[in-house]
Amino acid sequence: MSRNKKPSQNSSSSTSRRINILKNLVFCSLAIIAVRLFFIQIIEHDAWVARADKEHTLLETITAKRGEIYMMDSNEPVAVVLNQTTYQIIIDPAMTEKEKIKAALEAYAKDYISIDLDEIYNHEGLRYAIVAKNVPRSAAEKIANEEISAVWFSKNNQRVYPEGELASGLLGFVNADGLGQYGVEGSLNALLAGEDGLLKTTADVNKVALSIGKDNIKIPAKDGENVVLSIDRGLERGVEEITSKHINNTAATHAAALVMNPNTGEVIAMASLPNYDPGNYGHVEDASAYINQVTEVPYEPASTCKSFAFSAAINEGVMNADTTYFNQGYEIIDDNKIMNAEQRSSLYGTINMKTALYWSLNTGSIYALKLLGGNPSEINATGREKLYDYYYNKFRLGQATGIELIEAEGFIWDPHADIYGLNAAYANMTFGQNLSLTMIQTATAYSAVVNGGYWRTPTVVKGLLADGEIAPMKSTENKIEDKILSDETSATMRDMFINNRNYKARAGIDRAGYDVGGKSGTAQVIKNGAYDDTMSETVGTYIGFVAPSGGMPEYVIMVKMLGDGQYLDGGIASNLFDDISNYLIDYLKIKPGV
Amino acid sequence: MKNRKHKSDLAILFSTLGLMALGLIIIYAIGPMRANVLNNTYGTDYDSNFFFLGQLRSVGLSLVAFFLAFKVIPYQYIKKYAKPLMIISLILSALLWVLALSGSSLAKCELGECRWYNLGPVSFQPAELLKLSLVIYLADFLARKREEGNIGKWQEFWLPLLIVCGASLFLVVIAQGDLGTGVALIAIIFGMLLVSGVPTRQYLIMVALVLAIAVGAVVTSSHRMERVNAWLDTLTGQESSDSTYHVENAMLAIGTGGLTGVGIGNSVQATGYLPESINDSVFAIMGETFGFIGLFLVLAVFGAMLIRMLKVAEHTANNNDRLFITGVFAWTLAQVVVNIAAMTSLVPVTGITLPLLSYGGTSMVFIAFALGLVLQLSCYTSREGIKHEDISSRGRLRGAHHASRRRSS
Repeated sequence: MSRNKKPSQNSSSSTSRRINILKNLVFCSLAIIAVRLFFIQIIEHDAWVARADKEHTLLETITAKRGEIYMMDSNEPVAVVLNQTTYQIIIDPAMTEKEKIKAALEAYAKDYISIDLDEIYNHEGLRYAIVAKNVPRSAAEKIANEEISAVWFSKNNQRVYPEGELASGLLGFVNADGLGQYGVEGSLNALLAGEDGLLKTTADVNKVALSIGKDNIKIPAKDGENVVLSIDRGLERGVEEITSKHINNTAATHAAALVMNPNTGEVIAMASLPNYDPGNYGHVEDASAYINQVTEVPYEPASTCKSFAFSAAINEGVMNADTTYFNQGYEIIDDNKIMNAEQRSSLYGTINMKTALYWSLNTGSIYALKLLGGNPSEINATGREKLYDYYYNKFRLGQATGIELIEAEGFIWDPHADIYGLNAAYANMTFGQNLSLTMIQTATAYSAVVNGGYWRTPTVVKGLLADGEIAPMKSTENKIEDKILSDETSATMRDMFINNRNYKARAGIDRAGYDVGGKSGTAQVIKNGAYDDTMSETVGTYIGFVAPSGGMPEYVIMVKMLGDGQYLDGGIASNLFDDISNYLIDYLKIKPGV
Repeated sequence: MKNRKHKSDLAILFSTLGLMALGLIIIYAIGPMRANVLNNTYGTDYDSNFFFLGQLRSVGLSLVAFFLAFKVIPYQYIKKYAKPLMIISLILSALLWVLALSGSSLAKCELGECRWYNLGPVSFQPAELLKLSLVIYLADFLARKREEGNIGKWQEFWLPLLIVCGASLFLVVIAQGDLGTGVALIAIIFGMLLVSGVPTRQYLIMVALVLAIAVGAVVTSSHRMERVNAWLDTLTGQESSDSTYHVENAMLAIGTGGLTGVGIGNSVQATGYLPESINDSVFAIMGETFGFIGLFLVLAVFGAMLIRMLKVAEHTANNNDRLFITGVFAWTLAQVVVNIAAMTSLVPVTGITLPLLSYGGTSMVFIAFALGLVLQLSCYTSREGIKHEDISSRGRLRGAHHASRRRSS
């Protein structure tokens, strides 16, 4: 019995021992796991949280809606730049639904297919291909309804210009990154773009936002403002049509035209031709088409500038329309012989300033400069200082005007500049050479000359449209209005400008019942750093106003025509002015005076 | 000899019920997220309560199985059918394999592995039945061989053992591609062999043999090698790849849980980042939700349950019963340890459920049934247990005091 028990005892104690091995196994394995968990959850906790944040956080930009751009039409704002949602259609060629995709595309978006489908399917391993672009919503929806799993859509906000090329130089465009370029789109980009919002949230694996999470942020987008331009859409179209007809009928390749209200500074037409299609801005052959010639290109204003030299001397009381001087056809200043363009013999001798302005005699404006200096026989520092004061400080020539557009500044010599021939330079400045200005500077200064002497910041913006109401824009509230000339000076100048156009009135070009005044300019072009005296290339400009007879000017019109290597003078430009001024009277139904 | 019946082991009872309840809570919290992810990703149409209701059904069935095993069906009755049960289980697994090979719709396959019978609204995984049957069969077999004194003999012991175990492993690992259940089977076999009285030398040889086969199986298969490499990558902090995605996200869930967890319903990893969030990875979601404290408690509950099972085994006089309890212990331990170790990147991912917590019907029902039987047997322990043959160690072991008290009264 005891012999039998022994192995049983042994086996029993061995079983007990072996069960103990299992107990130890439980303790050991659970202890290892617990230590491991402590390591992951306590020691490495921060690192895992940081990593989770990175993987779980969805950062999404909430795109602000870009503001629309309006023009005025019969005192109502009308949209000329809109937004449109279009879609890109993207397919996964690795999924075999080619025929279905092809059929759907051809049925609904045939015009927008951007690529050869067969070619895509020959590409081995391609998982992503854009097959159609700019597809309108309606067409995209129809394709979406086909529920083809290999097709998906990418939304684009596209800028649409329903007026086509109209006022493209003024409007600009929006590039592929959504950034406004050139024109109003460029200069008012921040205002139009608004501010994108931000969504920071914990998201599930499919990038759907979750309500779980402590640091969720939602900053709503601030949509861009709708900008109403002071431009009259119909007038703009008319002015552009007339201008482009003149480009076709002359040697000009480029022309710019500007119509503004001298009493408010509001620009109601601004053409910079040739135009381009802002919706297809990439197709422009010459990138200079993007440049707005009215505000961005400084040029030598030539004889239109005499308006400012004459105004200065008259306003200083040292000259009037009947002041006389001796015209010998030229002046020699600082060893430079400055010639008059008009050399007819009847003009030699003593003539008055009215005649000098009519025939645009350089000797006349030089005489005005001499009078400003207090000595009729020489140009001196006082004269230079006075002219500079008028040009730069009062007419604000050579400075940006503050219009809501991209502007060039131009250049004017300092009256004490340390250069040889400063007097000659100043003599040149009286008739618009040796300085550079933009059209908008010239037209704004000219408005001050004829409107009773008020320099007003020009504007193309009427206000911001919200809920059907036009509210003033901040920058237009800060406009300058500066009385720089006396009423009398302005009246004298108006008379002389009207006198300048006597022959046009007599020819019946200017209509009875209206006072139309103006001044031409034929600017030489600096080629290789020097004036081209052969006058083989010149820029023709003309600036003037339209008023009911006996009344104050209601509109100032300025035109400029140029062509590479072409002679274009003030006379050619004045023809364009004539057509625009007559169109203006009709279009705006300006009432004739008595 | 049969001991008088006394109260069951309360630790096993309450840990079983507690874990089931915890599983329900966690599935209730993340089930809607799971449904949402599946609906968004695969265009399915799961109701947000789908998974909770599924788990509720599983828990209900499991409770029925648990109490049937605990109170109704005597283990002494079941063990009479050890052999036929084993044969039926093997046939069911073999039949599934044949059906899968012939492409029958009765075999339900996922990701190329056919592990389920498709029975209309429900599915059934024969490998789970196989585990239970193997435990019952081996308990009978090993106890019988011990009685016959045939333990360790080649022809009487090892050969039939190898045939049954080999067939089971083949059907599960090769035919069904279910490495996780394979690991559980091996753990069951070796756990039961250990307490069966197999000579230590033979036992160690068998362990070495199985390890060699396992290593051989890994290095000869590129797909298994990839898993091991992925595991090594995450363990050594290498760059992430598709194969490390699962474990990395499991650890991300556990790691973000910190000390106290993000709280019920606030799991982000369950919103689709972590694969198998309701099944094999539920432990990771619990780590995110309840933190280190929560996981430590879960480990403690499992630990208590396992230790109590061994105590019951120790105090069970009947060899067969003791072996059965050891088998259920090894089964539970293997699933708990292999699942959690994989989630914490201590071992490669094998695809194994966490007992009583993971979503899934068959596995819960069978383990609940097995635990119910253990609980039933816990009513018949004696102070002596093994020691009633082992006088030398009398009095050294404690446990089941209430039982002994009753006996002495």
